[in-house]
Amino acid sequence: MFATVRHVTRAEVPHELLARVRPLVQAGERVLPVAGALGRALPHGGVQRGATVVVGGRRGAGLTTTALALAAAATAAGEWAAVVDPDGTLGARAAAEVGIDLDRCAVVRRVAPERWATVVGALLDGVALVAATVPARLRTGDARRLIAKARERASVLVAVGSWPAEAALRLHVEPGAWPCTSSGLLGHRDIAVHVDGRGVRRSVLTGLARTG
Amino acid sequence: MRVATTRTACVWCPDWPVTAARGRDPSLHDRPVVVCERSGSRVLVRAASPEARASGVTRGMRRREAEARCPELVCIDADLALEARAFEVVARAVESVTPRVVLDRPGRCDFPTRGPSRYFGGDDALAAHVRELVLATGVGGEVRIGVADGMFAARLAARRADPVLVVEPGTSAAFLAPWPVSVLDDDDFASLLVRLGLRSLGSVAALPPDAVLARFGVAGRRVHDLARGSDPGPPVLVPPPPDLVETCELDPPATRVDAAAFAAKGLADRLVERLAARGLACTRVVVEAETEHGERLARCWRHAQAEHGGAMTPGALAERVRWQLDGWLAAHVPRAEAGDARAQQDLDVFGDAHVEVTTGALTLVRLVPDEVVPADGRQLGFWGGDQAARDRADRALARVQGMLGYDAVATAVVQGGRTPAEQVQWVPWGEPREPARPLVVDGEVPAWPGALPPPYPARVFDPPLPAELLDHAGRPVVVSGRGDVPACPAVLRCRAIPGGGGAVRSAAGPWPHDVRWWDASAHRRRALWQLVVETADAGDVACIAAVESGRATVEALYD
Repeated sequence: MFATVRHVTRAEVPHELLARVRPLVQAGERVLPVAGALGRALPHGGVQRGATVVVGGRRGAGLTTTALALAAAATAAGEWAAVVDPDGTLGARAAAEVGIDLDRCAVVRRVAPERWATVVGALLDGVALVAATVPARLRTGDARRLIAKARERASVLVAVGSWPAEAALRLHVEPGAWPCTSSGLLGHRDIAVHVDGRGVRRSVLTGLARTG
Repeated sequence: MRVATTRTACVWCPDWPVTAARGRDPSLHDRPVVVCERSGSRVLVRAASPEARASGVTRGMRRREAEARCPELVCIDADLALEARAFEVVARAVESVTPRVVLDRPGRCDFPTRGPSRYFGGDDALAAHVRELVLATGVGGEVRIGVADGMFAARLAARRADPVLVVEPGTSAAFLAPWPVSVLDDDDFASLLVRLGLRSLGSVAALPPDAVLARFGVAGRRVHDLARGSDPGPPVLVPPPPDLVETCELDPPATRVDAAAFAAKGLADRLVERLAARGLACTRVVVEAETEHGERLARCWRHAQAEHGGAMTPGALAERVRWQLDGWLAAHVPRAEAGDARAQQDLDVFGDAHVEVTTGALTLVRLVPDEVVPADGRQLGFWGGDQAARDRADRALARVQGMLGYDAVATAVVQGGRTPAEQVQWVPWGEPREPARPLVVDGEVPAWPGALPPPYPARVFDPPLPAELLDHAGRPVVVSGRGDVPACPAVLRCRAIPGGGGAVRSAAGPWPHDVRWWDASAHRRRALWQLVVETADAGDVACIAAVESGRATVEALYD
């Protein structure tokens, strides 16, 4: 005769069966985990492979340090990172301080603005994370092409500066005060970062320099 | 497949690095000179001139000790490219006797003697003739020639030669017997033999071959063969497949070494990759080039430890190709200056041995694997993993180097120094990451008085940006010769600071630097401050400012 078909709710499916039928790698697992308070503020605790992340804010507020902290996620995961630094002013000791493994970090210096998009595209082909300072007057078309390239190659693009297209995640660095020790020396500061992305909107104080 | 032992001559210029350095800088003649090389965190003497040796300096000694023994010593950093370029003259002189010259490192080359020895009337006459040819090039220094059965014995004969030593055919085993096992160039194996009580090659040769094979495997068998004076060539020689030749046309023709070397690097990578796909590795390679005037140049390079089965890695291969191209292109320069190519060619005909043969830019580079052996190298991870990611990154970065130039892609090496710019050395991607001033020397951390404590600035301006640093009264801040500061900085103006600058909220310092006070021409005085500047729109901005001979600059920005 007919067996009664009972509707099974999701909660009742045996746990092992769920584990067997789920896709091999879920989107939330394809993440480069970011260390420290900044990582805890990001969705899935890091930057998702294939995503574009924009780091904006005023110069001197901690823009470079925040971008380097994201790049450190790639080298910590055993991957390679590249920093595109058109004016050639990156401070490598600060990069090492936030946790970047300098062996695995290539720095591309002296990039003319008209070749910027080509260079970043070539880097996205082979390097897991590219942190690039965006030149003034980048065309929206070029920016969209780079977003598509990053998604296709499952690489992360960290764009530092004003980005003329959409992004999965936007970090905004707020101006803050510098703590000084009693002798007037600079201490380690907490950079205030506002995170804005799909399902996330929060501000955090990150002690970036202390994570490395 | 075993090859019969070939009678070989080895031409050796002892302390070639010193000879090459003196060729470049004639003021070094008659002075004690050592060429130093960094090995880990230590600087060791790689070669020493006879004057330095007379004061007790030896190869492998630490530089500090060498300077203590000989205070007037001149220390020069090793420059393998220069050594290879200078040795090209010697290689050409030897090449006028036989086409089969094989280089294994700058300063030493060997060739089989069978044909030329008959032509010149015996090994002794051949060796003397080659020595005269090499001396006639005027490179200076000493030249020693050893002739023996097999390359290994010939090299040792050259070491013993004064200035020529010919070991009669069939007596190589007797010649080798008294040498210590340390000459095997395989330190681990040699120390094992010594611990077993086998101190000389003779005692190794006396062992039964099957017992050596059973105890030490193929590597031991090879050492046993070497010790018995039968030099069988590389372990298992495979005739190279003819389609493994890698060619690269240079368009536009290369007149500069870096352009040619960049092409050569890709060539070397491809060759090693294709050999690896067939399970082969290369121990000897012929570098060929053609110039725009139709000349063809060829030179054979061997891995320095080929007799122990050492194979060329892509890096080592690319380095040798670079040296060789450097030698050819450098040879082309004086000719271009001399102008009239025909006059130079006449000189060639009249046999001045060191007149060069290249007359134009290189249009083609070709790599021909000359000796290949089965690869028994490293096993890759099960899933490729790390190696695959590295290859992918290397390819992408090489492409960017092709677009922007070799130096445009760099990695940073942290080194010792006072200012943030001095503390970092930028090394082109793919070059060895060795700092000029290591952070740790012999287990001790050298002090850099005047270096700023962490945190480190994320933006470093090199050269520093001009700025205005004023005190409360609006006068520029100055530092006296004793490092005293009459007035504190109150206002900083610079285009690196958002909003163009502002009032100084707090200042730490100054850190006075007395740079190279022992050298009157390079002596500089400066003072550094760590400043926090209040800006109108970006809050507090921290930076490092410097004052040198009355002029202020901003060295770095904390960002």
